[in-house]
Amino acid sequence: MKINSREKDNVVIFDIEGEIRRSDITDVTLHQMVKKNLDSGCRNILLNFQKVDFIDSFGVGEILASYISTQNLGGKLKLAKISKKLYMVFQVTMLTKVLEIFDNEETAFNSFFPE
Amino acid sequence: MVKRRLYKFLKRITPINPGEEIISLLLFFYFFLITLAFGVIKSLRDASYLDKLGPENLPIAYATAIIVGVVVAFHAKLQVKISRRILIIYTLVFSFLMCILFFLLFQTGWKWLPLAYWIWANLVVVLLITQFWITVNDVLNPREAKRMIGFFGSGGILGGIIGGILTGFLAKSNESYALLFIPSVFLMVCIFVVGAVFRWNERRLEEKMPGKEKTRKQKVTETKVGFHVCFDTVRKSSYLKLLALVVVITGIVSTFIDWQSKNIIANWPSIKENLTAFFGIFSAGMLVFAFLLQLLMTSNIIRRFGLGLALLVYPLILFFCSFGIAVWPVIFFAIVIKGADKSLSYSLNQSARELLYIPISPVVKYRAKVFIDMFLNRLAKGVGAGFLLLIFLLPPNLWIISVSIISAFFILVWIILNVKVSREYTNTVKKNLVLKWDRAESLIDRNIDRETTRLVFDLVESRTQSDDLFAMHLFDLIRQGKLTPEIRRFLGYVPENAKVTSVGALFDAQDAGLFFGGEEGLGEEELKKEVEEILSLDVYQQVIKNHFLRITTDVDGSETARMEAAKAIGFMKPDSPLVDKLTVFLDDKSPGVSRYAIESAAKLKLREHVTFMIKKLSDPKLCGDIEDALETYGNLIVGMLADHLGDETMELEVHRSLCSVLARIGTQEAADFFIWEMDEGKSDVETEIIDALHQICSKNPAIRFEEYSVHKKIREKIESYCRSYLEMDENKIVPTEGESAASKDKELEGILTNVFRLLGLVYPREDIDKAFQNIRTGTKNSIAYAIELLDNTLKKDTRDLLIPLIEDISEEEKKERCRTLLKWLKGFKDREDKSRSHH
Repeated sequence: MKINSREKDNVVIFDIEGEIRRSDITDVTLHQMVKKNLDSGCRNILLNFQKVDFIDSFGVGEILASYISTQNLGGKLKLAKISKKLYMVFQVTMLTKVLEIFDNEETAFNSFFPE
Repeated sequence: MVKRRLYKFLKRITPINPGEEIISLLLFFYFFLITLAFGVIKSLRDASYLDKLGPENLPIAYATAIIVGVVVAFHAKLQVKISRRILIIYTLVFSFLMCILFFLLFQTGWKWLPLAYWIWANLVVVLLITQFWITVNDVLNPREAKRMIGFFGSGGILGGIIGGILTGFLAKSNESYALLFIPSVFLMVCIFVVGAVFRWNERRLEEKMPGKEKTRKQKVTETKVGFHVCFDTVRKSSYLKLLALVVVITGIVSTFIDWQSKNIIANWPSIKENLTAFFGIFSAGMLVFAFLLQLLMTSNIIRRFGLGLALLVYPLILFFCSFGIAVWPVIFFAIVIKGADKSLSYSLNQSARELLYIPISPVVKYRAKVFIDMFLNRLAKGVGAGFLLLIFLLPPNLWIISVSIISAFFILVWIILNVKVSREYTNTVKKNLVLKWDRAESLIDRNIDRETTRLVFDLVESRTQSDDLFAMHLFDLIRQGKLTPEIRRFLGYVPENAKVTSVGALFDAQDAGLFFGGEEGLGEEELKKEVEEILSLDVYQQVIKNHFLRITTDVDGSETARMEAAKAIGFMKPDSPLVDKLTVFLDDKSPGVSRYAIESAAKLKLREHVTFMIKKLSDPKLCGDIEDALETYGNLIVGMLADHLGDETMELEVHRSLCSVLARIGTQEAADFFIWEMDEGKSDVETEIIDALHQICSKNPAIRFEEYSVHKKIREKIESYCRSYLEMDENKIVPTEGESAASKDKELEGILTNVFRLLGLVYPREDIDKAFQNIRTGTKNSIAYAIELLDNTLKKDTRDLLIPLIEDISEEEKKERCRTLLKWLKGFKDREDKSRSHH
C-alpha cells in the first residue's frame, strides 16, 4: 500500500494505491497518517480510493478508526471512488449510514463546502 | 315385499346388505348344485376304483392328474375363443353328457374303466369349481365376497352333504352306476342358475355403470387369455408364486393323505365289505361338520384370528395326524386325517385361500386362478403320485411310515409357506391403495427452500426500499451459499422504480457472477469473511452503536434505517454487544422492522428473544415469521414453548401457534411433551396436539410415542364418536342455531380424523394414512381394500373398536354397534379403574 497526501483548500486528500491488507502493513498506517494530520490541525480528510485494488477488514478498521478520530475532533472524513464491492461490504455492515461516500473526488471535495 | 322378506330372512344367517339377497342365493345354489353333482361323482369314483383296481393301484390314479393338467391347458386355450358364460354352460352340458356316457360304459364291466372315470371326475371337479370361483370374482367385489362367502360357501358344502347322503343310501343296491343320473340332472339345472347369475351381473352393471364405464368393466371381467399368459402372470409376481407353491404342496399332501387314509380304511376288516356306502356316509358326515363349521365359525375364525391363523388350522391338524399314522397306523388317525381333509379343506381352508385372491386385480386374479387352481393343483396331485410310486420301490411294510414321514415334512413346508403368504397378503392389499396426499408441511419441506424463497422475495422487494437493504439480502444469499446462477440471472432484471444504484447495477452486467468471483478479486467466501471480520471489530461496534442510538431515539429513525439495523444484527455474532439492541427492534411498532428483527433472532438463537417473540405470536402480521424463527431454535426451547403452552392466560391463537412450532421442531422431547399434555386432557388445543403428533410422526419415523396414552386417547375418541353418532341419530340434541346435521357430520369426521392420526403413531403411519384417505375419498373398492388393510394391520382390540365405525353397514346396524362399543368401553374403563385401585 502506498499513500500520498496533498492539501487543497484546507482539505487533506489521501491518494491511496495498491491493497490495504493486514499482511501488507507498512511503517505508517492510514490511521496514523490521518491522526498526524489531525494533530497538525487539519480537520477535513478525504480518502481517495481510485487506485485501491483491495481492502480487507483490517483496511476497513483503519478507515473506521480514522473516522472516529476525525469525528471526535469535530472534523469530517469522507471517502471517494471506492469500488463497488467495497461499497457493498459497507452496505451490508451499515457503514454507508455512517460514512460519507462519493462517486468521485470532486463531488466529495465540494461537499466539504456546502453552499 | 318378497325381496324385503328374503333380505330379512337371509340377514339372520349372513351379514348381507340390501340388494345382495338374489345374488347370494344364486351363488349358493350354483355352488350347491355343482358340489352335489360332484359329491355323487366322487363317491362313485373312489368306490369303483377301489372295488375294481384296489388301493395298490391308487398311485396310478393319482398320476393321471397330469392328464387333467394337460386338458386344463387346452381349456385355457379354448376359453380365449368363447365368452366365460358360454364356456361354463358348455362345460355343464359336456359333464351332463359324460355322466350318461359313463353310465352306459359301466354296464360293460371293463376293468380299467374306473381309471378313465377317475380322470374325468377329477376334470369335472377342477373345471366346475374353478369356474364357480372365477364367477364369484367376476360378480362380487372383495367386501361383498367376504360378507357372502360363509353363506354361498355353505351352499357348496350342503351340496356335498346331500350328494354323499344320496350316494350312501342309494349305493346299497347293486346298481351304483345308476347314481350317475343324479349329477346329470343337477348339472342341467345348474345351467339355468349360471344364466341367472350372469344376467344379474349385467343388470347391475347397467344400473351402476352406464355408458363408458360399463364397457370398461365388461372388458375387464371378460378378459380372455391363453395358458402361457396365465403362467407368465404367476411367474412375475412373488405373491402369486407363493400362492402357487402353497397349492402345489397342498396338492401333494392331499394325495398322500388320500392314500394313507384310504389304504388303512380299505383294509380295515369291518369297513371293507361295503366301501361305497362307507365313503358315502363318511363323506356326508364330514360335510355336515364342514357345513356347520362354514356357516357358524369360518367367518368368525377369520375375523377374530385373521387370515394367517385361519390358514394354519388345517395343515397343523394334518401334521399331527400324519405324525400319528407314522407312529401308530390305526383307523382312528386315518378317519381323523380324512375327516379333517373333508371338512376343513372345503370350509375354513378353502374360504381363507379364496380370500387370498381378494387383493389381486380381477385380470391377474383370473389368470392366476386358471394356472394355479386348474393346472397346478392337478399337477401337484400328479407329483404327489410320483412320490408315492417312488416310495413303493421300498418294501411294503415301510410304505405307510414313509408316506407319513414325507407327508409330515411337506406339511411343515406348507405351514411355513402359509405364514409367508399371509404376510405377503397384507403387502398386496397395500399395493392396491395409493397415498392420495401427503402432509403439506412435508410437501413444502421436500419441494421448497422456504428460507431462500423468502430471501429472494425480500431481495426483490428491497430494490424499491433501499440500496443497503438490498445489499444485505444479497449478502445473506451469498452467506448461505444460495446465490445460484438462476437467482443471479433473475436479479439481472432491474425494475424501473428501483432505487438501487450501486449494487443493483452490478447485475446489469451480462453475467452478474463476475462480480463475486471475477477480476475485481473478492470471491463469495472472501466477502463472507470480510464482513464477519468487520462486524467483530471494536471500532465498528463503537461506530455503529452511535448509529443505533440515533435511529432508535428517532433522531434519524426512519423505518428503513431500523429495518436495516434489525437485519444487520443477524450477521453479528451472538456475543456482540450490539445484539442487545435486537429486543428494541423486536418490539418495534413497525411490523417491517419486527420482521427483520425476528429473522435476526432466528440466526442468533438467543433464549432471551424467545419470550419477546412468543408475546407477538398473537399478531397475525408476524405470527408466521415468528413460527419460522422459533423453529430454527430447535430442541433448545422445547421446554420454554411447553411452559407457555401450559399457560392458560395466553390466547388460543398463541397456543395453536406454539403447537405448530413444537410440531415443526419435531424432536422426541416435543413428542413426549405433546403426549403428556394429551394425557392430561385439559388442553384447549387437543386437535392441534394430535395433528402435531401426526406431523412429528410423518417427519421423523424414528420418534416413539407412548403406546398406552395413545391407545387410551383412541378409546376416548371412539367413545365420543359413538355418543355423537347416537345423539345425532336419536335427535337427543336439538340443533341450536347454526348447528345442523352437516355440522354434526363434520364433528364425526373430525373425531375419526383424530382416531386415524393417533393410530398412525403406533402403527405404520403410511399404511394408516393410506387407509384413512381411501376410506374418506375412495371408490367402493378402494374403501374395501382400506378396511381390509386395517383388518390385517391393527391389533384385535383396536380393530374391533374401529372397523364397526367405518364399515359400509346400514344406519340401524351402526347404531347397534355404537351401543355395543359404548358398553365394551365402559366395561374396559371399569376394569381399568378396578385394577388401578387394586394396585
